[in-house]
Amino acid sequence: MVYNPNMEKRTNEEWLSALHAGGDRQAQALEDLRAIIRRGLPYAIAGRLDPNSPEAEALSEEITQETLMRVLEYLDTFEGRSQFTTWAHKISVRAALTELRRRRWREVPLPEMEMDEDGDPSHRELPDKQASPEVQMDRKDMMKRVNRIIMEELTEKQRSALMATMDGFPLEVAAQRLGMNRNALYKLLHDARLKLKKRLEKEGLTPLEVLSVFEQAGK
Amino acid sequence: MKFKQVIRRLFGSGQQKPASLQAGKSEKMQKMLKMLSNTRDVELSCDDVFAVLDQFTELAAQGEDVAKLMPLIKQHLDMCPDCRDEYKVLENIVRNVV
Repeated sequence: MVYNPNMEKRTNEEWLSALHAGGDRQAQALEDLRAIIRRGLPYAIAGRLDPNSPEAEALSEEITQETLMRVLEYLDTFEGRSQFTTWAHKISVRAALTELRRRRWREVPLPEMEMDEDGDPSHRELPDKQASPEVQMDRKDMMKRVNRIIMEELTEKQRSALMATMDGFPLEVAAQRLGMNRNALYKLLHDARLKLKKRLEKEGLTPLEVLSVFEQAGK
Repeated sequence: MKFKQVIRRLFGSGQQKPASLQAGKSEKMQKMLKMLSNTRDVELSCDDVFAVLDQFTELAAQGEDVAKLMPLIKQHLDMCPDCRDEYKVLENIVRNVV
C-alpha cells in the first residue's frame, strides 16, 4: 500500500470508518496515518536525540508501529473532542517521550535523603558567597526545619519520590523504580505536598514565606 | 555482567548526566516550596489530563484562554513535568503539522 497525501484530509468520521473497515481501506488509512505520525515525531525527538542518527530513525519506526497498534486498540475511546490526527499524535508523543526518558535516566540511581553525623536530615551546602552570614544562618536553620518536617510527615516512599522529582527525575522513571505507575506516583506526591503544606501552616508558615528566606539577597 | 555493562560502569555511558542533578540543595528546596505553594486540595491525575490533552492543545493553539477554560488541566501541567513536556511537544506538532 502506497502513502496517498490526498487521503490525509479525512474528517474524524472518515478516519474512524476507514480504520474500522478492514481490507484495503483500512490498510490505506493506516499507511496515511503512519506518514502523519512520522511527521510529528521529530518534534518529540528534537533536543533529546540527534535527529539524523540511526538511533532516532529506529526509535521513530518503533514508536510509529506502537502508535498504530494503540490507535487500533483504543479506537472506540476516541470521543471526537479534537481532530483525529491530534489524538493519534498525542498517543505517539506519550510513547516517544516515555522511551526517551527511560533511555536518558536508565543509569541514574534514585537519590536518598542525606543524613548528617547526628542522624539529622542534612542541610549542608556550599555557602552562597553573595549572602551575608545572617542570611546564610537563616537559610541553614530553615533548611533544617523543613527537612525535619519532611522526615516527620512523609513516608519513606513519599520522601524518595519527592527527592527524585526535586532532582528532575521524570515521574514515569521514578514511578517505575518505586514499583508503581505514573498516575499512582502523582497521587502519592500530591498527598505528600498536602501534608507538608498543612504542617507548615500549623507552624504558622506559608511556603512563600519559607521561600523568601532562600530568595533574599545577602546584605 | 556483559562487556558493555562493565565498560559503562567503569567509564560511564558517554551520555551527559541530566543537568537537573547538578542543582544545589537550596535550589531544590526553592523548587519544592514553589510546588507546595501551588498545591491544591483537589488535583487531576496524569490519566485525567492525558484524556483531554488533545482537546486542550488544540484550544491553546487556537488562542483560547485555556487557563480560564480548563484551570485544573493548566494547574496539573504546571505541577507535572512529564505531562508538561508532552503538552509542549504536542502543541508544537499541532501548530506545525496538524
